[in-house]
Amino acid sequence: MLNRIVPFTALSLALLTSGAEASELNPDVSLTLDGHYKQNDTALSHREQGFGLGHTELSLSSPIDDLFSGQLTTVFEEHDGESEVLIEEAYLQTNGLPLGLNVRAGRFLSQVGYLNGRHMHEDDFVERPAAYRALLGSHYYDTGLRINALLHTPFYWQIGAEAFNGNQLSEGAEDIGVYTLNTRVGGDFSAAQSWQAGLSYLHNRQISTDEENHDHALDHEHGHDHSHGASYTGKNLYIADAIWKWSPNGNTREQQFTLSAEYLYADDLNTFATSDDYHEGWYVSGVHQFAPQWSAGIRYGEVDLREAHGDHFHSQRLKETDVMLAWSRSHFSTLRLQYTHQSATGFSNADNTVALQYVVSLGAHGAHGY
Amino acid sequence: MGTDMRYSIWLILAVLTGLISLPARADFHVFACEPEWTALARVFIPDAHFTTATSYLQDPHYIEARPSLIAAMSRADIAVCTGASLEAGWLPALLQRAGNPDIQTGQPGLFFASDHAQLFAPHDHVDRSMGDVHPEGNPHVHLSPDQLPNIAKALAERLGAMRPDNSADIFARYIKWRVNWNFHRANWQERAKALQGRSLVIQHTGFSYLLRWLGIGATMDLEPKPGLPPSASHLNQLLADPRLEDAAAILIASHQNQKPAQWLSAQIRKPILVLPGTVTDDSKTDTLAELISEIINRLESAMPEVANGSL
Repeated sequence: MLNRIVPFTALSLALLTSGAEASELNPDVSLTLDGHYKQNDTALSHREQGFGLGHTELSLSSPIDDLFSGQLTTVFEEHDGESEVLIEEAYLQTNGLPLGLNVRAGRFLSQVGYLNGRHMHEDDFVERPAAYRALLGSHYYDTGLRINALLHTPFYWQIGAEAFNGNQLSEGAEDIGVYTLNTRVGGDFSAAQSWQAGLSYLHNRQISTDEENHDHALDHEHGHDHSHGASYTGKNLYIADAIWKWSPNGNTREQQFTLSAEYLYADDLNTFATSDDYHEGWYVSGVHQFAPQWSAGIRYGEVDLREAHGDHFHSQRLKETDVMLAWSRSHFSTLRLQYTHQSATGFSNADNTVALQYVVSLGAHGAHGY
Repeated sequence: MGTDMRYSIWLILAVLTGLISLPARADFHVFACEPEWTALARVFIPDAHFTTATSYLQDPHYIEARPSLIAAMSRADIAVCTGASLEAGWLPALLQRAGNPDIQTGQPGLFFASDHAQLFAPHDHVDRSMGDVHPEGNPHVHLSPDQLPNIAKALAERLGAMRPDNSADIFARYIKWRVNWNFHRANWQERAKALQGRSLVIQHTGFSYLLRWLGIGATMDLEPKPGLPPSASHLNQLLADPRLEDAAAILIASHQNQKPAQWLSAQIRKPILVLPGTVTDDSKTDTLAELISEIINRLESAMPEVANGSL
């Protein structure tokens, strides 16, 4: 895997050192550095105790021609002392098809839910909510095709469908392992307030619920130890999300309050699952950027899971409260202090922890979404 | 379930085609990134429908590509923006998410005012330690009395080309605007004589084109680096600047936090001028010419000894 990435790194270094004159023809290069110190190990966490590196991203993006633009995002991660390089995004994207259509092909972040389609470095907390970590592996990306349509309505209304290989979520033999459907609406209540709400459905065809395949289902218990796929899956995953943002006169530079909430529900867990066996999780997060460089936030979330053990399930439950304070020297650097309180049943490693994190971006800085 | 999915995709496509085949709209939609471009385009096509992404109470660098703006951008026939990276934090996301084929880089539907202006202080070398510096130069060109006619001419030509049936009217309105602008500019030039050589403390370079044109010095900035909010250490450093003695006032824009200016004002006993950085809904400042006249009025009253001639 490492060999594959060397040409990309070399390419980007060559780009960084080349003259500024031709830079308009070169792709935008963007590097995100993310590191942390975490006092204790916590349940369902993707961040190690002690000093650690988070999501180190190297990204190249550029218009390809007048119709297409492309982006490559590679992620460098360390797990148990082993480095690995992952391709998180490698897609081409249409620029302005007729009829409000938008097509993306290759590898990219699925647009289910609110957080999943966003890059991790945009997050307000050190880790994604427990429900996301359990059911989507923090962020679900895969290789496939997306078609979105922006409907011609006076308010914002988008519908979209994605088809994925599915192997990044759970392994299987299907050519098209995952389908998703998604719709989003949004608008402004006033100059100071804006909102968005969405509904998503993810269909995982690689969860076998047929009796004859139950050997395969058994393999899934305990999953892969540092998997980027989700540890808890179901044939159907439903997500509802809502976001409300407020800033005086709409001047987000000085002050902004963001309230967001999501609810996730997964069922048809495997061959042995009855209608009582389902995963469920939610979170509510409030973040107040109270000065241009400062923000504080609190998030509470719960997740109820059914851990597969052969032909039966064990109940697991995790409740998590996060409180954070972040300081951004500029738009490109953030230091964050966070306290996490976990209370759990069925998790041996649930704990409370203090974490200190930095997230900085070098080079081109892509425009952020809502 | 697989077949169900296939049906639902067809259903979505059917609903889509139904919605898309609604009758084409007759009116012309303009999406303006900043209010000054709404004001300017409205002069040429008063009958159009306008959406303005920002107001004078907002910092145009820090807008979000929020749902209402995506919807407006997807409906628009032309987007009129400043360019020169002013909107770099949100316009690319907006263009991509709206996916409007007429409003893409290189299309006539995307008009950047800075493409038709000579920007001040372009940089060959820019890095982030310099703050939020735009390599293209200072993008806040809408208050430049000399540059605006070029921008207006280019915009009128673009709108005329996009609406050939109205191009004669648009050209006539442009000529009228130009005559009016020249008249105003002569008046401002006259008044600039009394302001020349004076100096102000500023916060960011939003008014710099106009201040330079008026001959007002504006090198003392409350921002430690462009785009960074004023810090206590920088303000203390500024306090030791001997040029502060000559500054007539502290000039900030309506969307900026007044606290740093108030602190400095209390220290040096100079007045604070809070002025709109762009056109507003108020009838005194709802066109660019009126806005510049009003800014000069306020500058004159903040520099009362102008009657005695320059210092």
